[in-house]
Amino acid sequence: MNYLFNPDNWEWLITGNNLRFILEGLAVNLEIAIIAMVLSLLVGLALALLRLVRLTPVSVVAGVWVDVWRNLPLIFIILYLALSMPGSWRNAYEDAIPGWFPEGLQSGRVLAAILGLVLYNSAVLAEIMRAGILSLDRGQSEAARALGMSYRQSMRLVVLPQGLRRMVPATVSQLITLNKDTTLVSIVAIQEVMRHGRIVTGFNFFGGVTAPVLQVFVFIGLLFIAINLTLSRLSRRLEVRERRRTAGVKPVREVAEQAA
Amino acid sequence: MTRKRWALLLMLVLGLFVAACGEDEEEPAGGGESTPAAEEAEQFPEDTTMGRIQAAGEIKIGVKYDVPPFGFKNPQTDEIEGFDVDFGKFIAEKLGVEPNFIEAISDNRIPFLQDGTVDLVLSTMTINAERDQEIDFSEPYYIARGRILVPQDSDITGVDSLAGKRVCTALGSTYEETLKEQAPDADLRLVDSYSECLELVQNGAVDAVSTDDVILTGMIIQDDSLKLTEGEPLTTEPYGAGIKDGDTEFKEFVDGALEEYKTGGGWAEAYEKWVGQYTGEEQEPPTMTLEEAIEATS
Amino acid sequence: MGDLISVLTDNLDEFLTGFWVTFRLVAFSFVIAMVVGTLVAALRIAPSAWLQRLGGVYVETFRNIPLLVLLFISFAGLRRAGVAIGPWEAGIASLGLYTAAYVAEALRSGIFSVSKGQIEAALSLGYTYRQTLRRVVFPQAFRTVISPLGSLIIAMIKNSAIIGVSLLALGDLLKTARVIGSRGFQNDEAFFWAALGYLLLTGAATVTVRALENRYAIRR
Repeated sequence: MNYLFNPDNWEWLITGNNLRFILEGLAVNLEIAIIAMVLSLLVGLALALLRLVRLTPVSVVAGVWVDVWRNLPLIFIILYLALSMPGSWRNAYEDAIPGWFPEGLQSGRVLAAILGLVLYNSAVLAEIMRAGILSLDRGQSEAARALGMSYRQSMRLVVLPQGLRRMVPATVSQLITLNKDTTLVSIVAIQEVMRHGRIVTGFNFFGGVTAPVLQVFVFIGLLFIAINLTLSRLSRRLEVRERRRTAGVKPVREVAEQAA
Repeated sequence: MTRKRWALLLMLVLGLFVAACGEDEEEPAGGGESTPAAEEAEQFPEDTTMGRIQAAGEIKIGVKYDVPPFGFKNPQTDEIEGFDVDFGKFIAEKLGVEPNFIEAISDNRIPFLQDGTVDLVLSTMTINAERDQEIDFSEPYYIARGRILVPQDSDITGVDSLAGKRVCTALGSTYEETLKEQAPDADLRLVDSYSECLELVQNGAVDAVSTDDVILTGMIIQDDSLKLTEGEPLTTEPYGAGIKDGDTEFKEFVDGALEEYKTGGGWAEAYEKWVGQYTGEEQEPPTMTLEEAIEATS
Repeated sequence: MGDLISVLTDNLDEFLTGFWVTFRLVAFSFVIAMVVGTLVAALRIAPSAWLQRLGGVYVETFRNIPLLVLLFISFAGLRRAGVAIGPWEAGIASLGLYTAAYVAEALRSGIFSVSKGQIEAALSLGYTYRQTLRRVVFPQAFRTVISPLGSLIIAMIKNSAIIGVSLLALGDLLKTARVIGSRGFQNDEAFFWAALGYLLLTGAATVTVRALENRYAIRR
């Protein structure tokens, strides 16, 4: 216990470049998270709609696709993509990336990481969105059709807006998970917070101050907790607002699906 | 109240984004100062690798980021440094371009070369017949030896006493096979990089680390409670620069650069700077040829 | 095709060992997650505000921290601080404690779904608070949360792969696939079989949970 709180062991935080180095790494994680989230939302929505389509073959194929990616470990997907991605793709990425993009994202391996994150998260989000849309009272879509709206119109104007709004808490929860999952890209040698943390603990013959492993990673953990806690507080606010609007009760299933 | 929270979160995210963006104004890692030798560099025809590199203005070199003293990222300066790096800078100078150092871990350095992510690999890569089928090597630029690292108070004396001990080495490195042959009863722990091996031996989770003595020396530099065991080296590890398979012109160029590096004193300087001053050992530039190297490692 | 099969048959031992390691990691972590999760859920509904807050801190900490960071802290960090924890213990403890936070939340929802009337009736019949929890609330709560627990088990199966790539150096299914794949450049085949292994595990978990649901679950 003493070891944990001993101020000597925390000295590294205020010496040299260490703190900045770690925060720079964290910035890479957050950037990757945001990009992956946006892409996953778009692809996930497309997948969810495909699954709801009346045409059975399409919906079955989409269903299988979603189930496969959802059930594989994310790190598995990322590693495989990183190992087997053709160099031409990587080069294309590096050429396409604009110069003003942060340095940590310039490497072609980031493409593999983001692709992996999107393949996985879009499948998870597809399920969340589909649940949200299906949970909407059938009466809504029936009423819309009765008013003369086509299927597409009823989807666009009535079902989707309401269904998707219900999924905001689950989606933010997935964003938090995505935040945590960005640490996995360190395994494919992307220079983010875990790698930077490891470098800080290892190279004390430069800066002079020992950065112990326990303290460095407790600090990194606290950073993540701070960010994710903020996100989940935000989400709770949105939920309360939403509940006031619709006055519904959240079933247990939803709570757990937000989890993990 | 919600709006305030949103604003705070947004500012935090933007702040970090900007902090990272700010990097672009500084020089890219490993760029260093512009070299005066740029005017002296021989211009190569465009259809050769050298010409292509010159047209691009930079040579992409795969190096290690976490293996002092050969390839590592200095956290205080964000610069990539080391023996491999210095040789890479020399080659870049010869071409009159900037070196762009990219991290290549043991697992992906050959794929990187094959698919063009890097033009050259200088990442403590041992020459062996198996790798020679996938890529080409330059003549050996350094001869390392496979040794074993243990804590000062360990009772392990050499490869024979590894039975039942936990030994760490990198996934995908040559040592996996070597250790299976020479110490079949050892308990192998495979990890992604040697910095993890260092962590494991320092906190006692493994009893020994086995890899090239130079990588091990890098560990000792960081922590002098570790030592190398005496006894015969496990292997001879000639390091070669990795070149894309079949690119004989580029290989010739790199070999020529290496000759110059050795005879011109650059090699000796780099050796003293990165290895000699820590190990206290002397070494001559290697005279082994590529064929001999492949012989030695098969 | 021949290549694909031969990668499996040549290395069947290793694949099976890796599969078994993953299975054990998940099984032991699940036990820890259930035990600790139940305790934390009990804390969260305890009459004392202090205990509730303690439970809350646990949940918020372990839900928002990345598993990889937790692994570094529990293995490298603790060992440096002098605690002689081994990779198995660190891995199981990390995954177990991490998942426990989610178990606690699921249980809490389950508990709240048990109507207040039942609790009041039990208390008025002379049951102590503890007995009420044990005999009335928890049995029903557990039956409500079978399905969410199913998704948590699947999450654990996926998270176990993170243990394999961390510095804990345990030979789980993903690690085995990487080791086999890196010998002679047969990554695609090795990863294919490992993927099947994971889908087998998650599939079996899904089927088992659904069967349990049909027998025991209370749907509200």
